[in-house]
Amino acid sequence: MEGVQEEADVVVPGGSPECGGSVVVYLKGGDDGKIERLSWTGQGDTISMGATSIVLERILDEGLSMEEILEMDYEEFVDSLGREVIGSRRRHATLGLSTIKGAIRIYQRKSRSAVKERAGG
Amino acid sequence: MTEQEIQEKGYANPDALVSTQWVAENLDDTENVRIVESDEDVLLYDIGHVPNAVKIDWVEDLNDPLMRDYLDPEHFASLMAEKGISPDTTVVFYGDRNNWWATYALWVFRLFGHENVKVMDGGRVKWEAEGREMSQETPSFPNAQYPTPQRDDSKIRAFREDVMAHLEKVRSSEGGLIDVRSPGEYRGELLHMPDYPQEGALRGGHIPGAANVPWARAANEDGTFKNAQELREIYEGEAGLSPDEDTIAYCRIGERSSHTWFVLSYLLGYDNVKNYDGSWTEWGNTVRAPIER
Repeated sequence: MEGVQEEADVVVPGGSPECGGSVVVYLKGGDDGKIERLSWTGQGDTISMGATSIVLERILDEGLSMEEILEMDYEEFVDSLGREVIGSRRRHATLGLSTIKGAIRIYQRKSRSAVKERAGG
Repeated sequence: MTEQEIQEKGYANPDALVSTQWVAENLDDTENVRIVESDEDVLLYDIGHVPNAVKIDWVEDLNDPLMRDYLDPEHFASLMAEKGISPDTTVVFYGDRNNWWATYALWVFRLFGHENVKVMDGGRVKWEAEGREMSQETPSFPNAQYPTPQRDDSKIRAFREDVMAHLEKVRSSEGGLIDVRSPGEYRGELLHMPDYPQEGALRGGHIPGAANVPWARAANEDGTFKNAQELREIYEGEAGLSPDEDTIAYCRIGERSSHTWFVLSYLLGYDNVKNYDGSWTEWGNTVRAPIER
C-alpha cells in the first residue's frame, strides 16, 4: 500500500510539500473498472498521512471499484475519522482521497483516448 | 544552547529568542510567562507538549470565522483572557517545522501590539531531541484581564495595494521583495490538489522583482535559527535585501513569510518589513496583477 509502483498506469501528485502535506498516488487499473494495484508515498502532518493510509486501507479491504471510489463522499469520510480530531484540518484529511480520485479520472481519460485511437477515432 | 550561545549568534534583538534551557527553568513561572505551542501539525500538542504550554492554533483561534482576515480585537482579548495572558505576560512561542507556525502566531500577536513576545529557539524538535519532559496535561490558568487592544495592521502587514505601490521601488532597487516559497512555486510550476483547484492559483510565477529564498533556509538542521552572519549572507549577499529599504515578504498564504518576517525584523533588526499575507493565493488569482516567471 505504501510505496512507489514501477508499473503504474498513472502517477499523480497531490497537495503541496510545503503546506499541509503532499502525496503521490500510483494506480494500476484492472479489468471491469477495478483496481489492480494502488499505492502511495507522501510526507506531511499526522492528519494527512493518517487519513491517506486509512482511506487506502478501506479501498483495498472493501475491493472498491473506480466508480465506487469516485462516489465516496468527503464529508462522510471526515465524519468517519472523527470531526473532533480533524477539526479545521479538513483539507489535510481529504488530501489522499482527492488525489486518488484525481488519479482515477486521469486513468479513465487515458483509457478512453486509447480506445478511441484503436477505433481509428 | 544557552542564553550566552544565543547572544553569540549576533542578532540585533537576541532577547527575541530563548533557549530550551531557559524555558525549562521558567515554565513554572506561570504568572509572568505563558508558553504557547503553535503547530502546522495540529495533533502534536495532544501527543505531548512542553509542560504548562497552552495551544493556540492559527487556523482555529486566530482567524476571522467568515472573512479572510485575522480575528477582531474583542476576540483576541477574550482568547488572551482564556489562556491566562495579560498585556504584561511574556509569551514564548514554539512549534513544529522550525517554529514556522510559532512565528505566524507571534506575528498576529504583534498586530494587536502585544509587547513581550519570544520564540523558543529550536522549537518542538529540539525540546524532544534533548529528552526534556513532555506533558499531555492541558493546563488551565485563571482568566486574565486583557483590555480590548487596538489592531494596527499598518506596520507589519502589507495588503495587495501596498504591494502594487511597492513594485516601483523594487524596480528601481529602492525596495525589497522576497518570495519565500520553493523554487518550483516561484518559477510557476503549480502543485495543487486535483479536486481543490482553488487551493492553488489560476496563474503561477512570482511578483515581479521578488528574490527567492525558501523560508527554511533561515534554520539549521536542529530547528534553531542560523546566526546573524549566515542570515545576512543569505538575505543580503544572495537575495540583495537591505535593512535600509522597506521590505515585503510573501509566500502562498502568509504563513511561511511570517517566519522570514521574524528573521528579518527581530534577528537582523530590519526596521520596516511587512508580511503580505494575501500572498500568492491572492496575487496569482488577481486580474491583471503582473507576474514574472
